Amino acid sequence: MPEVDAGAEHGTVGRSVQRRDLLEKVTGAAIYTVDITPPGTLHAKVVRSAYAHAQIVRIDAEAALAMPGVVAVVTADDIKDLYPRFGHIVPDHYILATGKVRYYGEPVALVVAETFAAAADAAAEVEVHYSELPAAMSVAEALAPSAPLVHEEAFVVSADESFSAMAATPTLEEVTERTNVAHEVALGWGDVEAALASAHLVVSNEGMKFPMLYAYAMEPYNAIATYADGQLHVISTAQHPFMVRTDLARIFDLPLARVRVQVPYLGGGYGSKSYTKVEPLAAVGSWATGRPVKLVLDVEEAIYTTRADAAEVNVRTAFDADGAILARDIELRLDSGAYADNSPLVLAKAANRCFGPYRIPNLRVRARSVYTNTSPASSYRGFGAPQGSFACEVNLDKAADLLSIDGDELRRRNLVDHGEEILPGKRGLDADLKADLDLVVDSLRRDATQAQASGIGYAVTASDAGAFPVSTAQVRLQTDGSVVVLSGSTEMGQGSRSTLAQIAAEELGVELDVVSVSQSDTATVAYERTTGASRTTTLTGLALQRACADARSKAAEMAAEVFGWSAGEITQVRGGVCGPQERFVAFGEVIMRWFGANAGEITGIGLVRRTGATQKMPPFWECGIVGVEVDVDQETGEIDVRQLVTVADVGFAINPRAVEGQDLGAATQGMGIALFEELIYDGPQLVNPNVVDYRVPRMRDLPAKIDTMIVERRDGIGPYGAKGAGEGALNPMAAAVASAVGRAIGKWPTQVPLTPERVWRLINDLPEAES
Amino acid sequence: MLPEFTITRPSRIDEVIDVLSADVVPYAGGTELLLAMKMGLLVPTGLVDLKRVPGLREIAVSDTALLIGAGATHDDVARNELVRTSAPLLAEVETRVGNARVRAQGTVGGNLCFAEPRSDLLAVLAAIDASLVLRSVRGERTLSMSEFVLGPYWTDRADDELLVHVSIPMPCPAGAYLKLQITERPTVGVAAVRTSSGQCRLVVGSVVEVPLVITAESWEEIDPVAIAREVEPVSDIAGSSEYKKHVTEVYVRRVIGLAQGGGR
Amino acid sequence: MSEPHVSETKSATTSRPGSATEVATTVNGVAHRSWVANRTTLASFLRDGLTLTGTKVSCELQVCGVCSVLVDGQPVSSCTYLAADVDGRTVETVEGLASGERLHALQQAFVRNFALQCGFCTPGFLMMSKALLERNPDPTEDEVREYLDGNICRCTGYQPIVAAVLEAAAEMRGGRSA
Repeated sequence: MPEVDAGAEHGTVGRSVQRRDLLEKVTGAAIYTVDITPPGTLHAKVVRSAYAHAQIVRIDAEAALAMPGVVAVVTADDIKDLYPRFGHIVPDHYILATGKVRYYGEPVALVVAETFAAAADAAAEVEVHYSELPAAMSVAEALAPSAPLVHEEAFVVSADESFSAMAATPTLEEVTERTNVAHEVALGWGDVEAALASAHLVVSNEGMKFPMLYAYAMEPYNAIATYADGQLHVISTAQHPFMVRTDLARIFDLPLARVRVQVPYLGGGYGSKSYTKVEPLAAVGSWATGRPVKLVLDVEEAIYTTRADAAEVNVRTAFDADGAILARDIELRLDSGAYADNSPLVLAKAANRCFGPYRIPNLRVRARSVYTNTSPASSYRGFGAPQGSFACEVNLDKAADLLSIDGDELRRRNLVDHGEEILPGKRGLDADLKADLDLVVDSLRRDATQAQASGIGYAVTASDAGAFPVSTAQVRLQTDGSVVVLSGSTEMGQGSRSTLAQIAAEELGVELDVVSVSQSDTATVAYERTTGASRTTTLTGLALQRACADARSKAAEMAAEVFGWSAGEITQVRGGVCGPQERFVAFGEVIMRWFGANAGEITGIGLVRRTGATQKMPPFWECGIVGVEVDVDQETGEIDVRQLVTVADVGFAINPRAVEGQDLGAATQGMGIALFEELIYDGPQLVNPNVVDYRVPRMRDLPAKIDTMIVERRDGIGPYGAKGAGEGALNPMAAAVASAVGRAIGKWPTQVPLTPERVWRLINDLPEAES
Repeated sequence: MLPEFTITRPSRIDEVIDVLSADVVPYAGGTELLLAMKMGLLVPTGLVDLKRVPGLREIAVSDTALLIGAGATHDDVARNELVRTSAPLLAEVETRVGNARVRAQGTVGGNLCFAEPRSDLLAVLAAIDASLVLRSVRGERTLSMSEFVLGPYWTDRADDELLVHVSIPMPCPAGAYLKLQITERPTVGVAAVRTSSGQCRLVVGSVVEVPLVITAESWEEIDPVAIAREVEPVSDIAGSSEYKKHVTEVYVRRVIGLAQGGGR
Repeated sequence: MSEPHVSETKSATTSRPGSATEVATTVNGVAHRSWVANRTTLASFLRDGLTLTGTKVSCELQVCGVCSVLVDGQPVSSCTYLAADVDGRTVETVEGLASGERLHALQQAFVRNFALQCGFCTPGFLMMSKALLERNPDPTEDEVREYLDGNICRCTGYQPIVAAVLEAAAEMRGGRSA
């Protein structure tokens, strides 16, 4: 029996084992929230605002209530005795519009009926009388001197110290005068003005525009809530069930222990299912009727529920004659929509990430998150990084041109080294970005065509992972040697169910197929703060390793007691313990001997907090190193992506195929931002709140060459040297495509997505079309 | 959510035309109609299911014409051997309409009667000079494409008429079709064919309200710049009017190049 | 004539005369006969009426492909297809792909190739792939891309799906079910 030893060859991790959730998913047996309908369930339909900004004068629900099958129509008046708001950082988000509506599509009333059809038919009969108010539909309008206020009242930031720990940037002093600025941060060091004044070259990109995005998780938000006997049970499409539980407990003034949030398989998340969405609506529906209530949004409603922050960025970079960066001066404005939700943290992260993993002696970043009368923005894969990197990486390529240095060489001269700090006082970089960039550029150049209308582009990002280290895990060793893992991390497609099983099998020395993993049920599994920021492998993985160690040492103690061995005589081995004379006792036998019955179990507990390896923030840097080659039709502006190259610098790949899959998926979403994706407002409402007009990447958009590389230097703090993965390749994609297009046409893009028309305008120096 | 409606399932064309009215409408693949009903754009009280009417889906050829039943799906047309040999351009275009499900369910008749301007089929049928046969209790009449399509979502079909089949002259003009398409429907689609009498026919579709047909004795007589000047596209999410005019010029030039090279 | 009893699906009930149709259909080899409201979509009939929840719904505009099922072997978007229209026809859904415990070659190839992550789009991709291989047992990579272009996946970046379909096709041609 080989000893459990981190230095030994791994048994289960590091192999592309078959993902265990996939079998259920290919047979149609896998259950998603939308597939669940408990007996006696009522169905809900949301009545939504028809205005971007208006006072609610009166709501007439009598006609709707009189329709067949209608049980209740819930409005803000009905829930005023509850805590009627939610929100992770700023609890500014009304469950149902109260007093006024702040965006087109905002929930105003909830119709609850015996069937979905009855609810939908009746929702059309709820008459809401409005008195229209002037609206601020853009950041420019919202910041104008006489702008209408989206929120008249100020809300206290409710987040705990984890917010400030992850923000790294000081929040600017509270302003007394109300404006539409939801949040403001500033970050920097050195003397930027002096550096700009004395520089060999200053390169600026003004007004770089990053679009409003819809993550399009294909299962739209939905939830089933049952409020009965002072307990609330919610099944929903939430990435973070424990966070949702907190919001729900506050709304109903319930102890956390009397709120249960369960999350089955999730039909896509990509950050868009972070934090609370439709759960309060379903819950107040059940609270009002005393029956289970199911609320399923359609895609249009989902788009009006959460989108990603749009951004406008100004960047100036000062260089010396050799291309060394002397200073960067960056201004970021996020359009965060009608409610702040998680945008303050997105803003803070955008500020931390926008200037890139470069040695920058003088830095100034000023960033504002602005309320507008548009759909609320919140988390989205990449979390502020794509917004900043588009402007700031294109800025470097423009500079490289002016300095007559290759873009990769310019980066090489400025990238921080392994271990070097990017943010003062924070964890040093745990990656070798120069080597990673070489891999990308070599691959691109190897297959590049010499065609005049083609160009290569590449970009680099490093994100201070927003993974605040509060994680727990439990393992339960069974009498037959099998193992149950309990985790609050949600399986949303990234493969955590499989990864956690691999770690448990490895740590306990058992076969993978005797490990089962239960996830995301606040009543039964171990606490996990969130499923976001690529934290699961690193932080939940660490907690699970510790839980396994705890179980192993408990088994050793129990064996010592049962067999009368001294602690020094026992070694922990694969699948059990070893006593004197190489006597092997399997975990199951230890359990049965200790309990004195064919029964019992050992529970191992693993806890992770800000101490030891996870003291320093961020727990890891999530890096993105990508490149593309594009062909541009110089007459029409159509873009054909010929090559896509990514490097996943993940420390250690517990399941390499799964890592590759996450990286290609992230890169493809990033390509969507670069080429197609953009929510467009015309007046109070979106022009394209549907998947016909909001175009996402399709199979035919796939590049001819895809090269996904994994780099494993075991330089993460996670299990076996692992770091988080899954966002990295998205973050620099817009920048990489924009740079490739820039090289192909000789003009630097100022906006994504690069629609054919935008490229054509760029080629011909035409102004942006009137929208 | 669809509104409520009745469904009738006739088994003969006579029975279909007996019941058609403004409120009781022909229904086949449903790829356009059901979407319009979901969005509340159309609220018929009754649907007359054409899928169970024998003959409406048939494709046949005579010496002078290729007849395509209005109930034939895009996929039927794309894969039909008669069409592939006698009207290869049409077959080729039909392999790229919508997506595979729309091609399997959506019908030629539905596409034409809906008269969505951003339609590959409208442009290519106009190019190959198809005519349409409509029938009602009042009798039968035959219309050219330009007589049939009056505007966006507007045709000369009377409420009580049924489009029975599409007639394509034989030998079918050969040529090429090109489109710029970013989302579900083409932004601009251009067809260029040479008829059996040697006439050059160029059709601009999608970017215009009704297909624009230009005929000439030779390709050199057709000026892409002049055509771009003539079209007046609306600015929308697919592009500004200015851009659409520009790509019309580019695509017209390119499709003429293809047609000169022989085409299909 | 009195209005017959209409089987209630969660999504649509009817009270109007003539707005329901009696449907006799075979779904995954099992015969069903019931009255459905005319406005009931096939997706709703399968999911709510027959509790075959493997078929998912997303865009509701026929463009995402998530709800794809086969009717008489032809692919349809069940979100925009009337349940009344499957009367006299056979329906195949993802639940009918495997033969007992033995997975269909496509299912196996999807698992082997990591051709899914969240899995929400997978039933649609599998059914469309089945339709493709039935009409074209030996597709080229371009033909796969062309045929499946109307199915959206947000997780995988598509390449593993293309690989899985080509691999399954090769296996099915070889008569193996590996």
